[in-house]
Amino acid sequence: MSAEEHGEGGDGLTRRGFLQVSGLAGAITGLSVSAARAEGQIGYFATDLPDDRLKAMLRTILRIRWHERTMADRMLGDPQYRAYNHFYAGQEAVATGVCAALRNDGPFDRIDLVYSTHRPSGHALAKGVDMKLMQAEMDFRATGLNGGYAAEMHIADPAVGFMGADGMIGPGHVIATGSAFAFRARGSDQVAVVFGGDGTYATPHFHSALNNARLLDLPFIYVLENNLYHQYAHYSYSSPHTDIADAARAYGIPARVVDGQDVFAVYNAAKEAVDRARAGGGPSFIEAKTYRYYNHWGAPGAEVGKLGAFGYDPLAITSFRPEREVRAWMQRDPVDIARRTLIDWGVLDAPAADAIEAEVKAEVAEAFAWAAEQPLCMPEDGLKHVFAEGEVLPRQIA
Amino acid sequence: MTVKTWMYSVLEAVQAEMRADPAMVWIFELTPPVASNAGMPVINLETEFGRRRVVNTGIDENWMASAVLGAGLAGSRAATYIPYQGAGMPFQVIQNHAGKLRHMTGGKASMPVVFVMEMTGQTPGFAGQHSDYEIDSTYMHIPGGRTVIPSTPYDAKGMMHSALRSPDPVVYLYPAGLRMLSEEVPDEPFEVPLDKAAIRQEGTDLTLVGSGGGMPDVLEAAGLLTAEGMSVEVIDLRVLKQMDTETLVTSVAKTRRLLAVDQTYYTLGPAAEVVARCAENVDGARFRRIAFPDAPPPASPEMFRWMRPDAARIVAAAKAMV
Repeated sequence: MSAEEHGEGGDGLTRRGFLQVSGLAGAITGLSVSAARAEGQIGYFATDLPDDRLKAMLRTILRIRWHERTMADRMLGDPQYRAYNHFYAGQEAVATGVCAALRNDGPFDRIDLVYSTHRPSGHALAKGVDMKLMQAEMDFRATGLNGGYAAEMHIADPAVGFMGADGMIGPGHVIATGSAFAFRARGSDQVAVVFGGDGTYATPHFHSALNNARLLDLPFIYVLENNLYHQYAHYSYSSPHTDIADAARAYGIPARVVDGQDVFAVYNAAKEAVDRARAGGGPSFIEAKTYRYYNHWGAPGAEVGKLGAFGYDPLAITSFRPEREVRAWMQRDPVDIARRTLIDWGVLDAPAADAIEAEVKAEVAEAFAWAAEQPLCMPEDGLKHVFAEGEVLPRQIA
Repeated sequence: MTVKTWMYSVLEAVQAEMRADPAMVWIFELTPPVASNAGMPVINLETEFGRRRVVNTGIDENWMASAVLGAGLAGSRAATYIPYQGAGMPFQVIQNHAGKLRHMTGGKASMPVVFVMEMTGQTPGFAGQHSDYEIDSTYMHIPGGRTVIPSTPYDAKGMMHSALRSPDPVVYLYPAGLRMLSEEVPDEPFEVPLDKAAIRQEGTDLTLVGSGGGMPDVLEAAGLLTAEGMSVEVIDLRVLKQMDTETLVTSVAKTRRLLAVDQTYYTLGPAAEVVARCAENVDGARFRRIAFPDAPPPASPEMFRWMRPDAARIVAAAKAMV
């Protein structure tokens, strides 16, 4: 990576970032720019954002959080409720900080694309997916985002650049590099982002995606949400690295390890990566250290009205998450950190933050109520959408 | 003899083989080789045999399948349990290596390995990638790999013993929906052959053929038809490669009517092969098959349940033939 690439990164460095870089470069003459901008020397781009965008980030975190909590309460408390979830609560700052640095509005051939995981609701909301439509889809409704074909694990809304959840671990990362390849081939400044968990490190796809993204200098950003557990196993079962970012560096890709609980730290890293990609500087890797408040799937161990799951999960045979580990991570809650930071910066005061949360809770309640009133699917519609035109034959009937 | 679950019966066989052969290895991810059963000791292969022989990997089914093949080529019996999330990933190494190596080497390569391939439970609501039921067709197509699909705890144990003792690579399909099925299973090791279908019920009016995760619906339908006076012969394929043509043809030659049922997609499923083999060998019989449509399973339970060939659909199809 050359100094020119850094200096010309998209909108260029902010004044504050430039001073940091030039100060360091002057102090450590002879080191490359990438070495000078080592861990901790990232530009603090978030402070340059206008207040409305900063407040929007807090609102997004709250929208994800209250969607999660409402989902958990419905799953636990309403026997008629059929939707399920791989909970994202605890990780909200990652999706929010990354998507805040992306282009989410505009025609499809201009916006940035995000490939999600089996834990998609936070990514979807942060990218701009409509909450009502998403909730109706999770509830298997005919008028849901994807007509009841997708449910949680396959929600997709290309119109806002949310290319979809994926129930599989690995393939999506390589597919995302294909989108980045297309951007480069057609001269677009769009960026492709893939979210992955710590479990992806073990897959061949992880390595293929990074190698090819670097070989072709693709506008590709790999956001690895290291929440310590892949399904029910600690990530030490699948990666020898403490920081998986070390693996990306071995592929020649600039990598950051960030506090995934701090939305502004995540934004700073994402902004740097997006600027690099748009300027033709190639791929970036961001490892966000984070934690999920619930178990891998569903809400075992959780209680209605309470955040997080601490009880026994019968499926957690390999690695059981100690309750005190969960509680320790909840001390650094992404909602609290975003709120405190914005109040500290004077962007808003506590009553204004409370007002945003009240609005969000009302919006979430309305989304769940709307979804519950939507019609169920017609059985015969299962034969549609196999091809662009027509239906397949009902072979279950003689 | 104790009433045991499918899962317990399978691991009991693996445990016995690993006790008898200190070189044998087991590789898994996400699904620990642990089972408990009323009145029986807990089986935990990882704690009993240690992490040198029983390995919990990351999410890398390609490595899992390749590693057991390599272990087998090096002279160690080896097995891996691939959960349904990754059942397509080992395809290349089974199709292009395990299935071909013995033949390509003029018989020199020996592969005493078992690929336990979990199939989904066809759970409504989990959508395309977690409700499907398709790898029976995929893996039965490969020459050189024995592809079996037990549907009872007894067969699951006996076929696991046979598979682990076989010098050929075995694709052991495990329909997850049968995991908690229970029946009496002997405590001591025993073998069920890897080349024989099972006649579950004898009859003269209609031959009803199913396999794996579809067998509970097939048996339920047979019960309903029998109660209505139809004499139904029920065949559980158990083996997809090499399929037991003789049992099928003998039955259809007697009943003159064949209804084959798949839970996999209509195109190129086991039922298609069953119909083709019987049509080639029995003149003047009637043949039908029903299957899941050639569509991915949708999330909506309303759509998904309608698309499955369940007991009611099997009964309707049988009545239309007799």
